[in-house]
Amino acid sequence: MAEKAILYDATKCTACRGCQVACKQWNENDEAIPTEENGVASKNWGSYENPPDLSPQTWIKMRFTEIEAGGKVRWLFTRQACMHCTDAGCVRVCPNGSLYHHELGFVAYNKDTCTGCGYCIDACPFNIPRSTRNIITGIAKMDKCTFCTTQGLDRIAEGWEPACVKTCPTGALRYGERSTLLREGKARVQALKDMGWVNANLYGENELGGLHVMYVLDDYPEIYGLPASPQISAATIAWKDVIQPVGWAVGGLTIAGLGLNWLVARANVKKEAKK
Amino acid sequence: MTHHEVEKYRKPIRILHWIHSGAFVLLFLTGLILFIPGLGFLAEDSWTRVIHRIGAAIFIVIPIIYLIINPRSVARGLKLAFTWTKDDIGWLKAAPRYYFLGDEKDMPPQGEMNTGQKMWWFIVVVFGVLFVITGVVMVFAKTTASPAVLQWMVFIHDVSFIVSGAMLFVHIYLGVVHPLMTDAWSAITGGKVSTEYAKKHHAKWYAEVSKGKE
Repeated sequence: MAEKAILYDATKCTACRGCQVACKQWNENDEAIPTEENGVASKNWGSYENPPDLSPQTWIKMRFTEIEAGGKVRWLFTRQACMHCTDAGCVRVCPNGSLYHHELGFVAYNKDTCTGCGYCIDACPFNIPRSTRNIITGIAKMDKCTFCTTQGLDRIAEGWEPACVKTCPTGALRYGERSTLLREGKARVQALKDMGWVNANLYGENELGGLHVMYVLDDYPEIYGLPASPQISAATIAWKDVIQPVGWAVGGLTIAGLGLNWLVARANVKKEAKK
Repeated sequence: MTHHEVEKYRKPIRILHWIHSGAFVLLFLTGLILFIPGLGFLAEDSWTRVIHRIGAAIFIVIPIIYLIINPRSVARGLKLAFTWTKDDIGWLKAAPRYYFLGDEKDMPPQGEMNTGQKMWWFIVVVFGVLFVITGVVMVFAKTTASPAVLQWMVFIHDVSFIVSGAMLFVHIYLGVVHPLMTDAWSAITGGKVSTEYAKKHHAKWYAEVSKGKE
């Protein structure tokens, strides 16, 4: 099936944060005062950016950045939520396939089977997953943007757009075929360049095999707080692609070797006994 | 002949062995299910992590208690395990023929611990410490340490798991299954081995303990 995606145009975003509200409302993460462990409460901390961080009950959040450019203050808005990578660090490290790629390309997960190991949290190049966690017992559950595919709340299966896109009043968020959005995003970047935004770029076309949330930016990604070239960490590769296959081989060969030893040694003992 | 026996492991050592190894098997099994994707469903809802932590507490506390009660025994054990002589090199060369074919003519005389047991001790001590350090970081710094640190902790924990897990199979196999290790099981359960077995398998040690007794 053709891949779907979200296109976020930062130059059209007014940071109304309707997407944050719609996300919480649709996905039943209602609380502004969190009821779960590791929740992040809304509070006045000197910014319209609120709540201060993502949490198990806040899957999308607008990030506010103030920069000085050419003697003027610019106030930048970015969407902070799962980027739904094609080469997803979280999917690589998930020990039992709770995190997986949806047939439409984005990263969905089955919360019921999540073991709460937290490996995805450390493997994510964008620092997105959050978990409830009891430090002493280790009881935990991960949560992040599901692209509105949570069982029972699956908007995508209904053919609807995600809640955040549905509510966006300015058209900064759009949902559709990835290839179409890619084309439109590039056209928008070209239009911005023509208007004098020389650093304008489309973020997410090729990063990590192609993201399923792409950003139209009028300036470098770093300025918006995004990693310029997000990577799967060296530890993820060393662990999942090197040491785990080696572990399988070592374990298998050990058991095979012991089996062989038993057959040979037993045969010899019997032969000795006969003498 | 077989009714003559010598004590190989005293009672405190045997209790230490069984509690510690029981904890390790618990840790091994609850860790293994995260290593085999097909078994990962067993870890759902974190309950195996709770067991893993109870096992870890036992794994850490029991040797510390033993160390406090009996520091000289620990020092002696470590000295035995980490002292290597030319007989150990000879053992390594002769071991394959012995363990497969039962050919003992090139096997050098062994002390209280043979070379294989010394290697197992090395693994238990070195990887045990690595397990504990990385595990403690993963428990208590899970929400505060940097992602890179936590990922490398998992990596080291995994390497320790692979090495000591594979060697655990070898250890159990030699103790319980191998046809020539006839008295290993009685040594670690009742504490005693036959004098014949002691002479054959730990000649240097038997010479020491039997001195002045025969």
